[in-house]
Amino acid sequence: MKKNTLLALSIAVLATAAGCNKEEPLSKDAGLEGVNVTEGDAGSGHAKLFVLNEGNYQKNNSTLDFFRFKDGNYVTDAFSSMNPNVTQGLGDTGNDIALDDGRLWIVMNGSGMVHVLDAKDESLIATIKVPDPRFIAFGKDYAYVSSYAGAVYGGEETKGKVFRVDRRKFTVEGSVEVGCQPEGIAVSGGTVWVANSGGYNYVHENTVSMIDEASFKVKGAVDVASNLHLLGSDRDGRIWVTSYGVSTWNQDASGNWVQEMSEPMGLFKVTGNGSETIAGVHASIMTCCDDGSVYTIGNASEMSGGFDNTLYKVDASTGAVKAVSLSGTDASKVSNPYGIAVNPDNGDIFIADAPYTGPGKVWCFTKDLTLRWSAVAGMLPAHMVLY
Amino acid sequence: MAFAGIFLTAVLWAATPGGAVPVHDRPDTLGAAAVTSEASSIVPPRTVGQEKLRLSPTVTSAVRRFAGVQVRDYGGVGGLKTVNVRSLGSEHTGVFIDGIQVDNAQNMQVDLGRFGTSSLQAISIYPGGKVSVLQSAREYASASSLYLLGAEPLFEEGRNHSLKAGLRTGAFGTVAPSLSWSRKFSSGVSLATCAEAVRSTGRYRFHVKDYRVLDDGTTAGYDTTMTRANCDLHSLRTEARLFSAPGSGDTWSALAGFYASGRGLPGPVYKRADEYPLSLDRQKDRDFFLQGRWARPLGRRWTVMARAKLSCSFLEYQDFPEFRPEGSAAVFTYTNSSAYASAAALFRAGRYWKLNLAQDLQYSYLDANLASFAYPGRTTSYSAVSAMFSRGGLDVSASLLLQGTFDTFASSPGTAGGQAPSGSPVPPAGGIPGGDSGSTHGIGRSRATRTVLMPSLSGRWKVSERFSLDGFARRTFRMPTFNDLYYTTVGSKSLLPEDALQFSFGAAWSPLSGPEGDLSLKADVYRNYLRNKIIAVPTSNQFRWSMYNLGKVRMTGAELAGEYSRTAGRVGFGLAGRWSFQRASDLSDRDALTWKGQIPYIPLHSGSADLYATFDGWRLDLICFTTGERFSTSANLPAYRLAPWTSLDAALAKEFKVLGRQATARLSLNNLLDEQYEVVDNYPMPGFNAMLNLEVYF
Repeated sequence: MKKNTLLALSIAVLATAAGCNKEEPLSKDAGLEGVNVTEGDAGSGHAKLFVLNEGNYQKNNSTLDFFRFKDGNYVTDAFSSMNPNVTQGLGDTGNDIALDDGRLWIVMNGSGMVHVLDAKDESLIATIKVPDPRFIAFGKDYAYVSSYAGAVYGGEETKGKVFRVDRRKFTVEGSVEVGCQPEGIAVSGGTVWVANSGGYNYVHENTVSMIDEASFKVKGAVDVASNLHLLGSDRDGRIWVTSYGVSTWNQDASGNWVQEMSEPMGLFKVTGNGSETIAGVHASIMTCCDDGSVYTIGNASEMSGGFDNTLYKVDASTGAVKAVSLSGTDASKVSNPYGIAVNPDNGDIFIADAPYTGPGKVWCFTKDLTLRWSAVAGMLPAHMVLY
Repeated sequence: MAFAGIFLTAVLWAATPGGAVPVHDRPDTLGAAAVTSEASSIVPPRTVGQEKLRLSPTVTSAVRRFAGVQVRDYGGVGGLKTVNVRSLGSEHTGVFIDGIQVDNAQNMQVDLGRFGTSSLQAISIYPGGKVSVLQSAREYASASSLYLLGAEPLFEEGRNHSLKAGLRTGAFGTVAPSLSWSRKFSSGVSLATCAEAVRSTGRYRFHVKDYRVLDDGTTAGYDTTMTRANCDLHSLRTEARLFSAPGSGDTWSALAGFYASGRGLPGPVYKRADEYPLSLDRQKDRDFFLQGRWARPLGRRWTVMARAKLSCSFLEYQDFPEFRPEGSAAVFTYTNSSAYASAAALFRAGRYWKLNLAQDLQYSYLDANLASFAYPGRTTSYSAVSAMFSRGGLDVSASLLLQGTFDTFASSPGTAGGQAPSGSPVPPAGGIPGGDSGSTHGIGRSRATRTVLMPSLSGRWKVSERFSLDGFARRTFRMPTFNDLYYTTVGSKSLLPEDALQFSFGAAWSPLSGPEGDLSLKADVYRNYLRNKIIAVPTSNQFRWSMYNLGKVRMTGAELAGEYSRTAGRVGFGLAGRWSFQRASDLSDRDALTWKGQIPYIPLHSGSADLYATFDGWRLDLICFTTGERFSTSANLPAYRLAPWTSLDAALAKEFKVLGRQATARLSLNNLLDEQYEVVDNYPMPGFNAMLNLEVYF
């Protein structure tokens, strides 16, 4: 999922980027035509929407796509097209994508690498070796990458780590141990915040670790909820985190086995002193948008085993929640929402849709969930960032 | 059909003269003759006989020769190899050794790589299942069946024992010595034993490459040579078979088998940072089974047959040690125990009618070292009745099988622990190994019952001595496996059985036989429907996947096979060709990109051709396999395409005498064109390789 930090950064970078595009009309990737999915919008404040397809685990089919606002074309597998000589392409299981100073950082979980690309034309600048990397966020001088650090499903309990990577030299500059199987990460107020999932443990973790950016030492942890997942910081630096919830299998009256949730996949606001549950919000995917809102999509009927994918817009400063069920809107066609991004300029909502059988789609809706366009993506599209 | 002839005589152990070693003629008693003459399957199988089996050290390489059969091969000596007939999936193919099914309650995938061919007499495949007299009820339950038939020992005149020593060596650092010893006792009972040990590094080079045309018209890409690692195999396979004395009223046979192996699981090839290895997973197997069957004629009208089997399979799996070189691997163990018994009776109701009745019972239990495991036990009852009508050249059979499975399992699986690694739709297994496995054992067990009725109709009409028509229609159900049902985070305990409906029609023509050679041609067309196919989909919580009956596939296929052979003086030669067309459309989801796409790994066209020539104890074989393009998902987009491939193999064999003993040397040159290909996405197959096989009869 995109870190809001990077969204913030990307916005900051935007003006420059857009300017560059006008002076240099032919970027090296301009030759990639892709498929036209909608009318071009030359006046958009954005050049591209990058989409990272996770690919199937250990199938080496993670790919990078982008939607180009200027001509309304959707380009698949841009990384391999722009870097054809890179052996085995992008690699295996892309897990996060983030923008920093005109560079696109892509976290490859299965390959154990972080790629740094020129966001302008997707050309590869550097590849950094990081074991089991999960998510990335940027501080002043460093990128911070959460890592399972050798933990395996079913293995003995192993603490995860946060690796520190120099933003300019692309070298790993140490690591610090956090909770088990750390996931989402963000930097805010001189602190690196990491969500610990403990997803491989029989009893999951329930904390967010705090690392002091200056000393790169853990300074504490905040209790939130079981099995934390995505973490981001909003426009004003507040920290938001989602949990996987708690589920059990139970037999119903007719003897059928159904999965029941005892805790929903919730959204929480975290401070150094504690956390606050955002009541009524279900969150399997989340994005913190620079329009001052946190958006999530979750299944409102998850507690009863039903399906009701719902979009939640949480006002980051007041905590007010607006919920819209996807059914009954154009977004009802989304089969399995797997990633979300929102354009802060006009409120357009991008949903990465990862159906269980084949390649996924990227959908673009207006803020009232009217379809603008959709495009066929790669396998398991999940992580998006606006450039 | 010569194939059918060989098979039917073999199947009930009448002596079949042939092979390199002369044998005594064995007078058939009336009883045995009565049994054997009725043992043909109504729709004849495709069979690879002993002669061609010798070219194939593994069952997989022999089975590849059948039209309509796809071998899913993960590559290399120790790579999993399963068989899929007419696109129905390997779970729908029953594998039978000496007439009794090989179990795998866990996932119903039988690894053909672990069966050798040296002790076999024939391998037969029945695309519509076998239908013959005295058949066990379970034999009606598979959509298609693969039969491995053990060879009854043959003895030279004046001898009551025989000994054969063999050595297979060559590529992949393989050394595989084998020994077969047979003995005939004064009672007439004969014993055949064999043992084969395999030691192999399994290593081979392969290419990882991708070239693409850039927008300026130039081509760019990469081609890197890598070595397949962590693919070693150490295995020991021993078998002992007892055969009843010929001429007595009873016919029986028994088989004891033991297989032990340790192997590296190299996993798929994917990009890893420098110094991070690909999979270092390991698997250890210990399989033991004991089985037997016995038939006796009772008067003129009845013949009865009994079968029984006990088996125990232990599997140990070391997961992801490569992620933690300094720590210990996660170790998962599974023990699958089963017991099986069957009684069948044949009643000759009149001149034209026969009735076959069979009742089988099977019990399987799966133990594992996972906490919150379901410890499933399954009792399966198979009851079959089948009526056969034969008059003139017409044979028709109608059968009905009632199958009921009764599962019991620990009913408090508790909190679904763990989540899938990112991007992995299905977690590797439920629970955590090393948990308190005793806590849910036997207490609070729940039950689940599934009952299905499977009808089938098959027939064959011999229009003339040279021309016949055959066909079948049948409905079979594949029960959900323990994997489908009882992995705590994945299993959905309310799954229905997969429903397969098959229709097939064929014609066989033998226009030529005798001194001008033998020519036979076979053509088949078929239509299959698969419904309620079990697939993994997200639950109400997308991070926890579950199994649902959502898949739907329609297959339309055609097969053509032809064979010609001729002997002229000292020279013999033959050629054969097979072509298969399979259109297998995914009809699961009308709104998905997979709608009407060809299902994964099934080529539209595939075929093989082979050629042999013999002269003065020399034999040369050339075999060519070709498979058209396939896709790794039902969304048939270019990104998921697997390239077509063709492989050419050659084998040169010579029979000769060493110190007065008969010996054979065979040099096999496989993949002569050094084709780089994949059967399964990201599992590269070996390029050119050579093996030498020596056999001496003492």
